[in-house]
Amino acid sequence: MTSTSARGMKIARRTFLVAAGVVGGGVLIGAGTVAVRLQALDGYRLPAADGETSFGAWLKLARDGRFEVVVPNEEMGQGIYSLAILLAAEGLGVGPEAGRAVPAPIHARFANPVVILDGLPFDPRADSAGKRAVIWTFEKILRAVGLQVTGGSSSTRNIAEPIRSCAMSARDMLVRAAAQRLGVSAATLWTEGGRVVAPDGKSATYGELADAAGQIEPRDVVLPPLGPGVYVGKGIQRPDCGPKARGLARYGIDTREPGQLYAAIRHAPRIGGALAHATIKAGLPGVRGIVEGSDYVAVVAGTFEAARSGLETADIAWDDSKALRLSSRDVLSAYRAALDKGTGYAPRWIIDSAGNTAGAAGRKVVATYQVPFLAHATMEPVNATALVTNATCKVWAGHQSGSLVRMIAASAANVPSDAVEVVTPYLGGGFGRRADVGYVAKAVEIARHFKGVPVQTIWTREEDLRDDVYRPAAMADVTATLDAAGLPTSLIYRVAVPSVTDQFIARVFPFAKGGLLADRTTVDGAIYPLYAVPNRSIENFTVDLGVPIGFWRSVGYSINAFFFESFIDELAAAAGVTPIAYRSQLLHAFGGSAASRRAQVLLDRLARFDADHPLAPGDTNVKVGRGIALTECFHSFVGHLADVEISGRDIRVRRVFAAVDCGFAIDPPNVVAQTRSAINFGLSAALFGRLDIEDGRVVQKNFDTYPVITLDTAPDILVDIVNSGADIGGVGEIGTPGIAPAVGNAIYAATGTRLRALPFGLSGA
Amino acid sequence: MSLELTLNGQRVAFLSPPDTPLLWALRDEMKLVGTKFGCGAGLCGACTIMVDGEQTRACQTSLADAAGKTVTTIEGISGNAASAVTDAWVRAAVPQCGYCQPGFIMAATSIIAAKPGQSRDDVLSQITNICRCGTYDAIRVAVGLALDSLKAAASAPPKARAER
Repeated sequence: MTSTSARGMKIARRTFLVAAGVVGGGVLIGAGTVAVRLQALDGYRLPAADGETSFGAWLKLARDGRFEVVVPNEEMGQGIYSLAILLAAEGLGVGPEAGRAVPAPIHARFANPVVILDGLPFDPRADSAGKRAVIWTFEKILRAVGLQVTGGSSSTRNIAEPIRSCAMSARDMLVRAAAQRLGVSAATLWTEGGRVVAPDGKSATYGELADAAGQIEPRDVVLPPLGPGVYVGKGIQRPDCGPKARGLARYGIDTREPGQLYAAIRHAPRIGGALAHATIKAGLPGVRGIVEGSDYVAVVAGTFEAARSGLETADIAWDDSKALRLSSRDVLSAYRAALDKGTGYAPRWIIDSAGNTAGAAGRKVVATYQVPFLAHATMEPVNATALVTNATCKVWAGHQSGSLVRMIAASAANVPSDAVEVVTPYLGGGFGRRADVGYVAKAVEIARHFKGVPVQTIWTREEDLRDDVYRPAAMADVTATLDAAGLPTSLIYRVAVPSVTDQFIARVFPFAKGGLLADRTTVDGAIYPLYAVPNRSIENFTVDLGVPIGFWRSVGYSINAFFFESFIDELAAAAGVTPIAYRSQLLHAFGGSAASRRAQVLLDRLARFDADHPLAPGDTNVKVGRGIALTECFHSFVGHLADVEISGRDIRVRRVFAAVDCGFAIDPPNVVAQTRSAINFGLSAALFGRLDIEDGRVVQKNFDTYPVITLDTAPDILVDIVNSGADIGGVGEIGTPGIAPAVGNAIYAATGTRLRALPFGLSGA
Repeated sequence: MSLELTLNGQRVAFLSPPDTPLLWALRDEMKLVGTKFGCGAGLCGACTIMVDGEQTRACQTSLADAAGKTVTTIEGISGNAASAVTDAWVRAAVPQCGYCQPGFIMAATSIIAAKPGQSRDDVLSQITNICRCGTYDAIRVAVGLALDSLKAAASAPPKARAER
């Protein structure tokens, strides 16, 4: 849907002006307002410095021929800066070394509607006039509202087409400028290595032509479908690798401003606890003051070490009257109770209900799955630097939404949002954590006590784990009835999980109550399964006991794909069919849709790998097993195959093969890198990840108790890219969901033991 | 009162208290921010530096511990092993978010420089750093590339080596 809208931007906008009054009218804001605002945004041009020419919203050319492409998404390792340069270079017809990517201004022109549209509760494969109208209207409104956000594997889908379009349009303008200058017809000219060349050999460089080209009226350019090009489909050397390998790349925590102070922050030991009061001895070396916040205390000093050791000596009293006193097991008990009450406890959302009424004849397979809370544990602990004056606020911070940072900083500094300047360095990991920008508000609150002085507030790892917004714990009961051939005749999937979206909205807009729409985020991975299971019911029970939760690499998919793809394996075992053959049967039953065909291709790749690389038998006392999973998320498809070795209680994942179909891989080396990254992220969760709460306190404090995968435990990961030619799908998160079920299925294959809870752990040898 | 040590080839005096972790003395006093804070407990390796050539967690080393010693940070590494490792890291496009990579590069450089003839697996087994982006496959490739390029340089004819 996004690619259609982006590709047809010019046409769609015209159509929109006519249709806005009909469809968009009065939904949230007046259609007229939306139309006027979109028209204004459409005319936005990047401000150009002396010696530069702006070519619209995305691209500038300098007189030395170098180009600059702006990227509204933050670079957090996913390679979006590199992708923007690649696409701009391809469109302009110059080498990528001639360009660089910089953060886009925080401006509504750079809204990211994709990430929100993906969360609307629509079946991605269903097509109806009603769905199209709602998405179309929402897209216009979201563009008008202008929220800039990085997440949901949406960056490429959001910016690829506008950047291609802008670059190709700029090349067209350069050619026409050259035609005027050389006195020949534009049709006879071609471009080559940053020059426009005429048949007689005369030429002019882009840099020479930039000024004149900038005066030429842009024309509509016809975007060819994405396909292999000079750089597209091949990739370029990532420009950030050099600075990152040399220690020169700057992250938020590396901000060093003149006169800067440092704050060490400590939060109430119990979630929901408040600060009663805090004092600190006078005259501690370097210490400049103590800041009492609502649920935290911070000590500010000339160095972080002075702040941190000052905080150690502070006299702090916490108020636990409103603190959570529950433990993780209470959360799971509440899930159990909600599921047990069944229809007596109304689910928030029911998708289909045929499973509930289907005849009960046949063999039943019943299973309950659960996953724990998880932290993000980005390598760069949460931090932000703020400089507040009476009228302005400047923030240096890694974040996943400039719009939200500006809004929340303005509120915390009590200045208008256009008085907030946001500097966005590289992110030392995002994974959804830095979309929740409450940490910026705290840094600004602290800096407000030191007007005119930049203050950097750093969460230690212990505070980073304590003050996180966790991937929610969840529980599901899944029931299927099988026919004589072992194929399901009904399936009931009931999942208890708090609503991430509700909590997120409540944190950003305290006046807004969540629950307007069903929270698709937490049922992603279950509601639109790949397989044609007839008579299915999906029930979503929202059970929120107040533990802060947020977005986390692939969020709901990381929960439901584990449940669902483990269960499919259980059905295969019950049917006595191999996991590959059983999935193939289920895909076939789907009736040959585009989705099932894409999934079948990946399944075929898994089958081929399986045949070509038979699992080697283990040593004495070592059991080996192979498992697979098939997932669809963010409009992409992935097939996982995992080989495990088990000796005693030790589970080792030796090798992973992943077949990936994201439509078309624009930057294949990066698709490989992101897939490996997402798989290792999911493996950390599958093998080790658990964030426990005990009497309101977070148990895990650091990487010793919250272990993640290392060189020693990380498997070799092979990635096979399948270019199906479908619309571009997401990439950054798609490797995560399928790895836990693939490993669980491999453990079952090796041991006969079905593990239905994460992290995986075997009891007894 | 100040503590002196050799930092990236230069004799420098630190004014921070002697019990200050070297990590924060480097970052806050010397503004050498390539050495990263990740855990503060010696667990993740983001702060890996070299003290007298050996990979060391800067968050677990006090200024007093380092006094009089030779400290090298990512900003100051040089030599065959360092350039082979850094180049390999770029060629293999290892960094994603990149935050942990200076620590990995310091660890790999220190291990390889100490004993250039080691196997790839020997080198890898001595790196205990954490990368949340999970760049481990690329790190394995990069360590292999670095060892190969050092081996090629060592076995190159003397003339070619002199030209370098």
